[in-house]
Amino acid sequence: MDEMQEKELAAIRKNLKELLVTSLCLEDIKPEEIKDDEILFGEGLGLDSLDAVEIVVLLQRNFDLDVKDMLEGIKIFYSLDTLARYVLENRKK
Amino acid sequence: MAENKEQRIVGKRRGNVFGFWFFRIIARFLGLRVAYSFLYLICLHYVLFDRQATNGALAYIKRRFPGKNFFVARLHVFRLFVSQGKQLIDRYAAISGNAVLDVKRLGKEQLAELLRQRKEGLILLTAHVGNWQIALTVLKDLNRKVHVVMRPEDNPAVEGSLNISRQDDFIRVISPEKALDSVIQIMHAIKEGDIVAVMGDRKYSADALAVDFLGDKAFFPYGGFLIAAAAGCPVVVVLTSRLGYKKYLVNVHNVFNPRYQNASRKQEELRGFVQEFAVVLEKYTQEYPYQFFLFSDIWKK
Repeated sequence: MDEMQEKELAAIRKNLKELLVTSLCLEDIKPEEIKDDEILFGEGLGLDSLDAVEIVVLLQRNFDLDVKDMLEGIKIFYSLDTLARYVLENRKK
Repeated sequence: MAENKEQRIVGKRRGNVFGFWFFRIIARFLGLRVAYSFLYLICLHYVLFDRQATNGALAYIKRRFPGKNFFVARLHVFRLFVSQGKQLIDRYAAISGNAVLDVKRLGKEQLAELLRQRKEGLILLTAHVGNWQIALTVLKDLNRKVHVVMRPEDNPAVEGSLNISRQDDFIRVISPEKALDSVIQIMHAIKEGDIVAVMGDRKYSADALAVDFLGDKAFFPYGGFLIAAAAGCPVVVVLTSRLGYKKYLVNVHNVFNPRYQNASRKQEELRGFVQEFAVVLEKYTQEYPYQFFLFSDIWKK
């Protein structure tokens, strides 16, 4: 990954952190407190399946991305980093 | 996501391959009314000896008919079992070609219009009332795929005999057991313009909210409303009822458009949506007291 992509990835991570806090109403967490490799479900942020609904919509509305494949979804939603990398690789150019 | 033990047990104990075969033969050669007559004996057996099934029903009966003594309450349970048995026989006979049901459809045009106006799909919210599988038949000529969110039947005999998951190509089943998988499938289906049918009265996990229902706080799932609010799609409540011999009604009762007024109070707003559904269901139980077939103590957390 070159320097430019790294910068893009960092920007997506930052954007995603803000979107997660807003969309999921994470009241006690500030975007900057979320680690880049924070695990989303169970441990880490402690999200549940119903939060996944908001994340799917967040991807659709903000990045025009539609997660279709279940197995793919499990990998994508693993952590903030996997989510950001999915956005970087798949968002519409 | 897993239902509690009680729900599983009740589901497993009712119905078996021999029972369905027996009723199929009787309905085919002697008619539906003769098949119904055998139900009285079988349902009496359930009321007398199947404590789990009876207790599952009593949770509802005690609230729908409060103040009744031990025997009268069990009489109501007996009527509830017989009513469900008749609807199972009707459905089985219809699937196997031994009976043609007269199904009246109310509000189908409203549903068709709603779909015409939208590229995306919608949530169809139903409940374990009446012959709910018949509700799906109303969707057949709407030219949209239908995804039913339901656990693979606990009881293979029921699944095999009622043919729920295979009756039509336009119906697909989404299992709620793997939560993230089901969310991805549901959201994708709605985006593609499909209909996602959800049971609004049975929770598959702890994701339920307490609302007023039949005089007590009952726990109803809120997933359907949460998905609709997030995806910006409507929730259409469709309930079925048996009106008489071979006569059914599929009724589009309400159309909700759940949207959050205040994003920081999502939980409370979801509770409001769920409460509206519980009110619809309560009215239904007033009109059709013996067609509420949940058999689960939804008043117990």
